Amino acid sequence: MVVCSVFRVSLRLARSSLGAQCGARALYSTDHKARFYTKKHEWVTVSNNVGTVGISSYAQDALGEVVYVQLPEVGKKIAAGDECGALESVKAASEVYSPISGTITETNKEVESKPALINKSCYEEGWLFRVKLASPEELHQLMDQAAYDKYLEEH
Amino acid sequence: MVKVWKLGLMSYDTALKIQTALARKHLDAILKGQDSLCDTLLLVEHKPVFTVGIRDDTPKNEIMRLRALGAEFRKTNRGGLITFHGPGQLVAYPVINLKHFKTSVKWYVNSLEETVINVCDEIGIKGTRSPYTGVWVDDNKIAAIGIHASRYVTTHGISLNCDNDLSWFNNIDPCGIEDKGVTSLTKESGTEWPVEKVTPIFLKCFNKVFGCETEEIDFKTQEEILNGVYKNLMTQTVGS
Repeated sequence: MVVCSVFRVSLRLARSSLGAQCGARALYSTDHKARFYTKKHEWVTVSNNVGTVGISSYAQDALGEVVYVQLPEVGKKIAAGDECGALESVKAASEVYSPISGTITETNKEVESKPALINKSCYEEGWLFRVKLASPEELHQLMDQAAYDKYLEEH
Repeated sequence: MVKVWKLGLMSYDTALKIQTALARKHLDAILKGQDSLCDTLLLVEHKPVFTVGIRDDTPKNEIMRLRALGAEFRKTNRGGLITFHGPGQLVAYPVINLKHFKTSVKWYVNSLEETVINVCDEIGIKGTRSPYTGVWVDDNKIAAIGIHASRYVTTHGISLNCDNDLSWFNNIDPCGIEDKGVTSLTKESGTEWPVEKVTPIFLKCFNKVFGCETEEIDFKTQEEILNGVYKNLMTQTVGS
Protein backbone atom coordinates (compact mmCIF):
# COMPACT_ATOMS: atom_id res chain seq x y z
CA MET A 1 0.00 0.00 0.00
CA VAL A 2 0.99 3.56 0.03
CA VAL A 3 1.61 3.25 3.70
CA CYS A 4 4.92 2.21 5.13
CA SER A 5 6.34 1.07 8.43
CA VAL A 6 9.72 1.21 10.03
CA PHE A 7 11.24 -0.76 12.88
CA ARG A 8 14.24 0.21 14.84
CA VAL A 9 15.91 -2.96 15.93
CA SER A 10 18.84 -3.63 18.03
CA LEU A 11 19.32 -7.22 17.05
CA ARG A 12 22.28 -7.82 19.27
CA LEU A 13 20.47 -6.56 22.33
CA ALA A 14 17.23 -8.26 21.45
CA ARG A 15 18.95 -11.62 21.28
CA SER A 16 20.73 -11.35 24.59
CA SER A 17 18.85 -11.97 27.80
CA LEU A 18 18.22 -8.54 29.17
CA GLY A 19 18.52 -7.55 32.77
CA ALA A 20 16.84 -4.35 33.91
CA GLN A 21 20.07 -2.43 33.63
CA CYS A 22 20.80 -3.74 30.20
CA GLY A 23 17.25 -2.96 29.15
CA ALA A 24 17.59 0.62 30.22
CA ARG A 25 20.77 0.89 28.25
CA ALA A 26 19.05 -0.50 25.17
CA LEU A 27 16.24 2.00 25.56
CA TYR A 28 18.51 4.99 25.62
CA SER A 29 21.29 3.79 23.41
CA THR A 30 21.39 4.98 19.84
CA ASP A 31 23.95 2.33 18.94
CA HIS A 32 22.97 -0.55 16.72
CA LYS A 33 19.55 0.85 16.08
CA ALA A 34 18.36 0.37 12.57
CA ARG A 35 15.16 1.02 10.75
CA PHE A 36 13.67 -1.83 8.78
CA TYR A 37 11.10 -1.39 6.05
CA THR A 38 8.33 -3.32 4.35
CA LYS A 39 7.46 -3.10 0.67
CA LYS A 40 4.33 -1.30 1.75
CA HIS A 41 6.45 1.44 3.26
CA GLU A 42 5.95 0.80 6.94
CA TRP A 43 9.03 1.05 9.14
CA VAL A 44 9.99 -0.62 12.40
CA THR A 45 12.79 -0.10 14.84
CA VAL A 46 13.35 -2.47 17.73
CA SER A 47 14.54 -1.79 21.20
CA ASN A 48 14.30 -4.30 24.03
CA ASN A 49 12.27 -6.67 21.89
CA VAL A 50 9.63 -3.98 21.37
CA GLY A 51 9.14 -2.70 17.85
CA THR A 52 8.05 0.87 17.11
CA VAL A 53 6.11 1.16 13.87
CA GLY A 54 5.40 4.08 11.56
CA ILE A 55 5.23 4.96 7.88
CA SER A 56 8.13 6.12 5.73
CA SER A 57 8.73 9.55 4.36
CA TYR A 58 7.91 8.29 0.88
CA ALA A 59 4.56 7.02 2.14
CA GLN A 60 3.57 10.18 3.97
CA ASP A 61 4.39 12.19 0.87
CA ALA A 62 2.33 9.89 -1.38
CA LEU A 63 -0.60 10.09 1.04
CA GLY A 64 -0.69 13.83 1.48
CA GLU A 65 -1.78 15.53 4.67
CA VAL A 66 -3.03 12.95 7.13
CA VAL A 67 -6.24 14.09 8.85
CA TYR A 68 -7.29 10.98 10.76
CA VAL A 69 -5.54 8.04 12.36
CA GLN A 70 -7.09 4.73 13.36
CA LEU A 71 -4.81 2.60 15.52
CA PRO A 72 -5.06 -0.94 16.90
CA GLU A 73 -6.13 -1.61 20.47
CA VAL A 74 -3.47 -2.20 23.09
CA GLY A 75 -3.30 -5.88 23.90
CA LYS A 76 -4.31 -6.98 20.43
CA LYS A 77 -2.28 -9.83 18.92
CA ILE A 78 -1.22 -9.29 15.34
CA ALA A 79 0.68 -11.22 12.69
CA ALA A 80 3.15 -9.71 10.26
CA GLY A 81 1.22 -8.34 7.28
CA ASP A 82 -2.04 -7.97 9.21
CA GLU A 83 -4.09 -4.87 8.69
CA CYS A 84 -3.98 -3.02 11.98
CA GLY A 85 -5.03 0.53 11.36
CA ALA A 86 -5.92 3.15 8.81
CA LEU A 87 -4.82 6.63 7.87
CA GLU A 88 -7.01 9.14 6.15
CA SER A 89 -5.67 11.86 3.91
CA VAL A 90 -7.29 13.90 1.13
CA LYS A 91 -10.54 11.92 1.47
CA ALA A 92 -8.66 8.65 1.09
CA ALA A 93 -8.50 5.92 3.70
CA SER A 94 -5.42 3.73 3.46
CA GLU A 95 -4.67 0.66 5.51
CA VAL A 96 -1.66 0.26 7.77
CA TYR A 97 -0.11 -3.20 8.02
CA SER A 98 2.07 -4.51 10.78
CA PRO A 99 5.60 -5.33 9.64
CA ILE A 100 5.99 -7.84 12.47
CA SER A 101 4.02 -10.27 14.62
CA GLY A 102 3.38 -9.65 18.28
CA THR A 103 1.15 -7.90 20.78
CA ILE A 104 0.33 -4.19 20.67
CA THR A 105 1.74 -2.59 23.80
CA GLU A 106 1.17 1.10 23.11
CA THR A 107 -0.30 3.49 20.57
CA ASN A 108 0.78 7.05 19.93
CA LYS A 109 -1.92 9.20 21.56
CA GLU A 110 -0.25 12.36 20.33
CA VAL A 111 -0.60 11.35 16.71
CA GLU A 112 -4.28 10.50 17.22
CA SER A 113 -5.03 14.08 18.20
CA LYS A 114 -2.51 15.61 15.78
CA PRO A 115 -2.41 13.36 12.67
CA ALA A 116 -0.30 15.91 10.76
CA LEU A 117 2.66 14.82 12.94
CA ILE A 118 2.96 11.91 10.51
CA ASN A 119 3.78 14.34 7.73
CA LYS A 120 5.94 16.55 9.89
CA SER A 121 7.98 13.86 11.59
CA CYS A 122 7.25 10.39 10.26
CA TYR A 123 10.28 8.72 11.90
CA GLU A 124 10.12 10.40 15.31
CA GLU A 125 6.98 12.07 16.70
CA GLY A 126 4.79 10.48 14.03
CA TRP A 127 5.28 6.85 15.10
CA LEU A 128 2.03 4.87 15.23
CA PHE A 129 2.20 1.93 17.61
CA ARG A 130 4.52 -0.39 19.54
CA VAL A 131 4.55 -4.16 19.36
CA LYS A 132 6.13 -6.71 21.67
CA LEU A 133 7.74 -8.99 19.13
CA ALA A 134 6.59 -12.60 18.97
CA SER A 135 9.21 -13.65 16.41
CA PRO A 136 12.20 -11.29 16.25
CA GLU A 137 13.64 -13.37 13.40
CA GLU A 138 10.95 -11.86 11.14
CA LEU A 139 13.08 -8.74 11.02
CA HIS A 140 15.44 -10.54 8.65
CA GLN A 141 12.71 -10.59 6.07
CA LEU A 142 12.44 -6.80 6.04
CA MET A 143 14.57 -4.35 4.08
CA ASP A 144 17.32 -2.35 5.72
CA GLN A 145 17.82 1.31 4.78
CA ALA A 146 20.06 0.55 1.80
CA ALA A 147 17.74 -2.12 0.45
CA TYR A 148 14.72 0.15 0.93
CA ASP A 149 16.42 3.06 -0.85
CA LYS A 150 17.16 0.72 -3.74
CA TYR A 151 13.56 -0.52 -3.70
CA LEU A 152 12.27 3.05 -3.95
CA GLU A 153 14.56 3.73 -6.90
CA GLU A 154 13.34 0.66 -8.73
CA HIS A 155 9.64 1.19 -8.13
CA MET B 1 -6.61 -0.81 -20.64
CA VAL B 2 -9.42 -0.16 -18.17
CA LYS B 3 -12.64 -2.16 -18.42
CA VAL B 4 -15.83 -0.15 -18.05
CA TRP B 5 -18.84 -1.73 -16.42
CA LYS B 6 -22.06 0.27 -16.55
CA LEU B 7 -24.15 -1.08 -13.71
CA GLY B 8 -27.12 1.22 -14.16
CA LEU B 9 -29.38 1.85 -11.15
CA MET B 10 -28.23 -0.40 -8.34
CA SER B 11 -28.35 -0.50 -4.55
CA TYR B 12 -25.28 0.69 -2.69
CA ASP B 13 -24.73 -2.72 -1.09
CA THR B 14 -24.71 -4.69 -4.34
CA ALA B 15 -22.34 -2.24 -6.01
CA LEU B 16 -20.07 -2.45 -2.96
CA LYS B 17 -20.02 -6.24 -3.20
CA ILE B 18 -19.00 -5.99 -6.85
CA GLN B 19 -16.25 -3.53 -5.94
CA THR B 20 -15.01 -5.84 -3.20
CA ALA B 21 -15.02 -8.85 -5.54
CA LEU B 22 -13.01 -6.92 -8.13
CA ALA B 23 -10.55 -5.70 -5.50
CA ARG B 24 -10.20 -9.30 -4.26
CA LYS B 25 -9.32 -10.36 -7.81
CA HIS B 26 -6.61 -7.69 -7.94
CA LEU B 27 -5.16 -8.74 -4.58
CA ASP B 28 -5.20 -12.43 -5.51
CA ALA B 29 -3.30 -11.63 -8.68
CA ILE B 30 -0.78 -9.56 -6.71
CA LEU B 31 -0.24 -12.39 -4.20
CA LYS B 32 0.36 -14.82 -7.05
CA GLY B 33 2.84 -12.36 -8.51
CA GLN B 34 0.79 -11.86 -11.64
CA ASP B 35 0.22 -8.50 -13.20
CA SER B 36 -3.53 -8.61 -13.43
CA LEU B 37 -5.52 -7.05 -16.21
CA CYS B 38 -8.46 -6.30 -13.97
CA ASP B 39 -8.41 -2.52 -13.76
CA THR B 40 -12.10 -1.75 -13.86
CA LEU B 41 -14.20 1.40 -13.80
CA LEU B 42 -17.67 0.88 -12.38
CA LEU B 43 -20.31 3.44 -13.31
CA VAL B 44 -23.50 3.35 -11.30
CA GLU B 45 -26.50 5.31 -10.07
CA HIS B 46 -27.61 4.48 -6.56
CA LYS B 47 -30.97 4.29 -4.91
CA PRO B 48 -31.11 6.99 -2.19
CA VAL B 49 -28.40 6.32 0.39
CA PHE B 50 -26.43 8.35 2.91
CA THR B 51 -22.90 7.05 3.42
CA VAL B 52 -20.17 7.94 5.90
CA GLY B 53 -16.42 7.23 6.02
CA ILE B 54 -14.09 5.79 8.66
CA ARG B 55 -14.08 9.01 10.73
CA ASP B 56 -17.83 8.82 11.24
CA ASP B 57 -19.42 9.39 14.61
CA THR B 58 -23.02 10.00 13.51
CA PRO B 59 -25.24 9.51 16.56
CA LYS B 60 -27.95 6.83 16.46
CA ASN B 61 -30.88 9.24 16.50
CA GLU B 62 -29.38 11.09 13.54
CA ILE B 63 -29.11 7.81 11.62
CA MET B 64 -32.76 7.08 12.48
CA ARG B 65 -33.76 10.55 11.25
CA LEU B 66 -31.99 10.06 7.91
CA ARG B 67 -33.47 6.59 7.45
CA ALA B 68 -36.93 7.98 8.13
CA LEU B 69 -36.49 10.19 5.05
CA GLY B 70 -36.64 7.03 2.93
CA ALA B 71 -32.94 6.53 2.32
CA GLU B 72 -30.54 3.86 3.45
CA PHE B 73 -27.62 4.69 5.76
CA ARG B 74 -24.29 2.93 5.35
CA LYS B 75 -20.97 3.06 7.17
CA THR B 76 -18.07 2.45 4.83
CA ASN B 77 -14.29 2.11 4.90
CA ARG B 78 -13.67 5.10 2.64
CA GLY B 79 -12.16 8.46 3.50
CA GLY B 80 -14.30 11.57 3.84
CA LEU B 81 -17.41 12.29 5.87
CA ILE B 82 -21.14 12.06 5.18
CA THR B 83 -22.54 12.30 1.66
CA PHE B 84 -25.63 11.33 -0.29
CA HIS B 85 -26.09 9.26 -3.44
CA GLY B 86 -29.30 9.04 -5.42
CA PRO B 87 -30.70 8.64 -8.92
CA GLY B 88 -29.45 11.27 -11.38
CA GLN B 89 -25.97 11.24 -9.91
CA LEU B 90 -23.10 9.60 -11.78
CA VAL B 91 -21.06 7.53 -9.36
CA ALA B 92 -17.70 6.24 -10.59
CA TYR B 93 -15.78 3.56 -8.71
CA PRO B 94 -12.40 2.90 -10.30
CA VAL B 95 -11.13 -0.42 -8.91
CA ILE B 96 -7.60 -0.07 -10.17
CA ASN B 97 -4.09 -0.99 -9.12
CA LEU B 98 -2.29 2.33 -8.68
CA LYS B 99 0.97 0.60 -9.62
CA HIS B 100 -0.31 0.67 -13.19
CA PHE B 101 -0.64 4.45 -12.93
CA LYS B 102 1.16 6.27 -10.14
CA THR B 103 1.61 4.91 -6.63
CA SER B 104 0.32 7.99 -4.86
CA VAL B 105 -3.06 8.41 -3.26
CA LYS B 106 -2.59 12.16 -3.52
CA TRP B 107 -2.08 11.85 -7.27
CA TYR B 108 -5.10 9.58 -7.58
CA VAL B 109 -7.51 11.90 -5.78
CA ASN B 110 -6.15 14.81 -7.77
CA SER B 111 -6.76 12.90 -11.00
CA LEU B 112 -10.35 12.12 -10.06
CA GLU B 113 -10.89 15.83 -9.45
CA GLU B 114 -9.17 16.67 -12.73
CA THR B 115 -11.48 14.26 -14.59
CA VAL B 116 -14.59 16.00 -13.28
CA ILE B 117 -13.12 19.48 -13.84
CA ASN B 118 -12.62 18.46 -17.48
CA VAL B 119 -16.21 17.16 -17.67
CA CYS B 120 -17.46 20.51 -16.35
CA ASP B 121 -15.27 22.31 -18.86
CA GLU B 122 -16.76 20.31 -21.77
CA ILE B 123 -20.20 21.37 -20.59
CA GLY B 124 -19.17 25.00 -20.18
CA ILE B 125 -19.05 25.06 -16.39
CA LYS B 126 -16.04 26.22 -14.41
CA GLY B 127 -15.21 23.54 -11.86
CA THR B 128 -12.52 24.27 -9.30
CA ARG B 129 -10.69 22.65 -6.38
CA SER B 130 -10.90 23.83 -2.80
CA PRO B 131 -9.04 22.94 0.38
CA TYR B 132 -11.92 20.56 1.09
CA THR B 133 -11.26 18.17 -1.82
CA GLY B 134 -13.99 17.39 -4.35
CA VAL B 135 -14.98 19.63 -7.24
CA TRP B 136 -16.71 22.92 -6.70
CA VAL B 137 -18.56 25.52 -8.75
CA ASP B 138 -18.05 28.71 -6.79
CA ASP B 139 -19.08 27.83 -3.22
CA ASN B 140 -21.16 24.83 -4.19
CA LYS B 141 -19.99 21.27 -4.43
CA ILE B 142 -20.72 19.42 -7.66
CA ALA B 143 -18.65 16.27 -7.05
CA ALA B 144 -17.68 14.46 -3.86
CA ILE B 145 -14.73 12.13 -3.34
CA GLY B 146 -14.16 9.33 -0.86
CA ILE B 147 -11.78 6.49 -1.55
CA HIS B 148 -10.08 3.51 0.01
CA ALA B 149 -6.65 2.21 -0.91
CA SER B 150 -5.55 -1.29 -0.03
CA ARG B 151 -2.07 -2.32 -1.17
CA TYR B 152 -2.45 0.12 -4.08
CA VAL B 153 -5.84 -1.24 -5.09
CA THR B 154 -8.54 1.41 -4.95
CA THR B 155 -12.22 1.17 -4.10
CA HIS B 156 -14.97 3.79 -3.73
CA GLY B 157 -14.50 6.91 -5.83
CA ILE B 158 -16.27 10.05 -6.97
CA SER B 159 -19.91 11.06 -7.37
CA LEU B 160 -20.94 13.78 -9.79
CA ASN B 161 -24.32 15.50 -9.49
CA CYS B 162 -25.87 15.45 -12.96
CA ASP B 163 -29.62 16.07 -12.76
CA ASN B 164 -30.35 14.63 -9.31
CA ASP B 165 -32.72 15.97 -6.68
CA LEU B 166 -30.42 18.15 -4.56
CA SER B 167 -32.92 18.61 -1.74
CA TRP B 168 -31.64 15.38 -0.13
CA PHE B 169 -28.46 17.26 0.75
CA ASN B 170 -30.47 19.74 2.86
CA ASN B 171 -30.61 17.04 5.52
CA ILE B 172 -26.84 16.86 6.02
CA ASP B 173 -23.66 18.95 6.02
CA PRO B 174 -22.08 17.31 2.98
CA CYS B 175 -18.61 16.05 3.90
CA GLY B 176 -18.96 17.78 7.25
CA ILE B 177 -18.61 21.27 5.82
CA GLU B 178 -21.11 23.84 6.99
CA ASP B 179 -22.03 27.01 5.08
CA LYS B 180 -21.42 25.48 1.67
CA GLY B 181 -24.02 24.28 -0.78
CA VAL B 182 -24.32 21.66 -3.47
CA THR B 183 -25.08 22.01 -7.15
CA SER B 184 -25.47 19.89 -10.29
CA LEU B 185 -24.54 20.04 -13.97
CA THR B 186 -28.20 20.68 -14.83
CA LYS B 187 -28.55 23.46 -12.29
CA GLU B 188 -25.34 25.20 -13.38
CA SER B 189 -25.84 24.89 -17.14
CA GLY B 190 -29.59 25.45 -17.31
CA THR B 191 -29.97 22.46 -19.63
CA GLU B 192 -30.78 18.86 -18.82
CA TRP B 193 -27.75 16.66 -18.19
CA PRO B 194 -28.99 13.19 -17.36
CA VAL B 195 -26.42 10.53 -16.42
CA GLU B 196 -26.61 8.84 -19.86
CA LYS B 197 -25.59 12.08 -21.54
CA VAL B 198 -22.74 12.75 -19.11
CA THR B 199 -21.30 9.21 -19.17
CA PRO B 200 -19.51 9.37 -22.57
CA ILE B 201 -18.00 12.75 -21.65
CA PHE B 202 -16.86 11.36 -18.31
CA LEU B 203 -15.19 8.39 -20.02
CA LYS B 204 -13.42 10.62 -22.53
CA CYS B 205 -12.04 12.82 -19.72
CA PHE B 206 -11.10 9.80 -17.60
CA ASN B 207 -9.07 8.35 -20.49
CA LYS B 208 -7.29 11.64 -20.98
CA VAL B 209 -6.44 12.28 -17.34
CA PHE B 210 -5.45 8.69 -16.49
CA GLY B 211 -3.64 8.24 -19.81
CA CYS B 212 -5.47 5.01 -20.56
CA GLU B 213 -7.94 3.49 -22.95
CA THR B 214 -11.28 2.08 -21.88
CA GLU B 215 -13.43 -0.68 -23.29
CA GLU B 216 -16.67 -2.28 -22.22
CA ILE B 217 -16.16 -5.18 -19.85
CA ASP B 218 -16.76 -8.62 -21.39
CA PHE B 219 -19.78 -10.69 -20.47
CA LYS B 220 -17.73 -13.57 -19.08
CA THR B 221 -15.99 -11.41 -16.45
CA GLN B 222 -19.32 -9.87 -15.45
CA GLU B 223 -20.82 -13.32 -15.05
CA GLU B 224 -17.87 -14.56 -12.97
CA ILE B 225 -18.03 -11.60 -10.59
CA LEU B 226 -21.82 -11.65 -10.26
CA ASN B 227 -21.89 -15.41 -9.66
CA GLY B 228 -19.43 -14.90 -6.82
CA VAL B 229 -21.50 -12.06 -5.37
CA TYR B 230 -24.77 -14.02 -5.51
CA LYS B 231 -23.17 -17.19 -4.19
CA ASN B 232 -21.94 -15.29 -1.13
CA LEU B 233 -25.36 -13.76 -0.73
CA MET B 234 -27.00 -17.20 -0.73
CA THR B 235 -24.48 -18.57 1.76
CA GLN B 236 -25.02 -15.62 4.07
CA THR B 237 -28.79 -15.97 3.87
CA VAL B 238 -28.69 -19.69 4.57
CA GLY B 239 -26.11 -19.21 7.31
CA SER B 240 -27.99 -16.51 9.17
